[in-house]
Amino acid sequence: MLQSQLCELLGIKYPVFQGGMAWISDANLAAAVSNAGGLGIIAGMNSNREQLTAEIRKLRTMTDKPFGVNVMLMSPFVKEIAEVVVDEKVPVVVTGAGDPSPYMKAWLDAGIKVIPVVASVSFAKRAERNGATAVIAEGAESGGHIGKLHTMPLIPQIVDAVNIPVLAAGGIADGRGMAAALMLGACGVQMGTRFLIADECTIHDNYKDMVLKAKDIDTITTGERTGDACRALKNPFSKDFHKKEMVDCLPAEELAPLGIGALRRAAREGDVQTGSFLCGEIAGLVKERMSCKQIIEEVCTDCEKLLMGASKWVR
Amino acid sequence: MKEKLIAIIAEYLGKDASEIEADATFEDLGLDSLDIAELVMQIEDELSVTIELNAELNNIDKLVEYIENQG
Repeated sequence: MLQSQLCELLGIKYPVFQGGMAWISDANLAAAVSNAGGLGIIAGMNSNREQLTAEIRKLRTMTDKPFGVNVMLMSPFVKEIAEVVVDEKVPVVVTGAGDPSPYMKAWLDAGIKVIPVVASVSFAKRAERNGATAVIAEGAESGGHIGKLHTMPLIPQIVDAVNIPVLAAGGIADGRGMAAALMLGACGVQMGTRFLIADECTIHDNYKDMVLKAKDIDTITTGERTGDACRALKNPFSKDFHKKEMVDCLPAEELAPLGIGALRRAAREGDVQTGSFLCGEIAGLVKERMSCKQIIEEVCTDCEKLLMGASKWVR
Repeated sequence: MKEKLIAIIAEYLGKDASEIEADATFEDLGLDSLDIAELVMQIEDELSVTIELNAELNNIDKLVEYIENQG
């Protein structure tokens, strides 16, 4: 059995978070992950007060286990969803896409455990100084919006810089990745891509098929030029965006509207031409559909075996 | 205050202070969001202030105003 301070801290069985992915991480997926012993996370994305409240209440009818909400700090509704997580007594808030400092005090005062996603040592130190419970250090192997540093160098540098627990994310989809993350000093992992193909994940089947068929070279990043990098599967949409950005050199204000609605078209309509299928580099390793419970148990059991066997490297 | 910020940023960029325009955006100075987080930590330590990062604080003039308003 794996043991991690994270489990005691959050009241979960396995130190595994499911990433808060816009248009993907709904009450169904998050509840299944929490019921399986991990930490399920609802994506707050651009939801307003009513939408997020409804999703949280739906999750509560499906599980009594701890869960989290990902507050996307660039959301136009960020102020109201920052209140919703307090009103609804959400146990854990994960933040993404910015600096959560303005909201941290209110959340911590409400007894919420706050775990920002960070992409560099400075952001991790800021989070710690502002009272964060832990941080998720996310490398650029991840799907969706990404920083610049990759998981292998990012994790140990953040682990050395802060005294709070660090979770690793980006490029982790099996027991090997998890074992490696723990060796780098993390005390748990967050996975996104692996959960895309979970039985309880409600995205369109075309999306799942694309992930299952993806090879190592099948993701592409767009938005790097404009400081808004985002990793997705290669398809007509992402390739065209990449060309407009890097070859035609369209200005940022002409590129931005191209992305509107593309996540919804991928996740909900399965539009393989015009959708944006966010996905991590590790997709090539994801080959089989299974339930959240099977995923978490397989990853943790394999991780445990690897760690038990690690002494083979030492004489 | 402004000179001090310019000096910190010039040193970070490895440039001379005279090359740094206080009304140029951080982006124009070649600073991305990771650089800005790094610099803000440094400025906070050196000037004993607290700065909340936000997208509107995008040049040195605005940062000076922000810090001075904090009193």
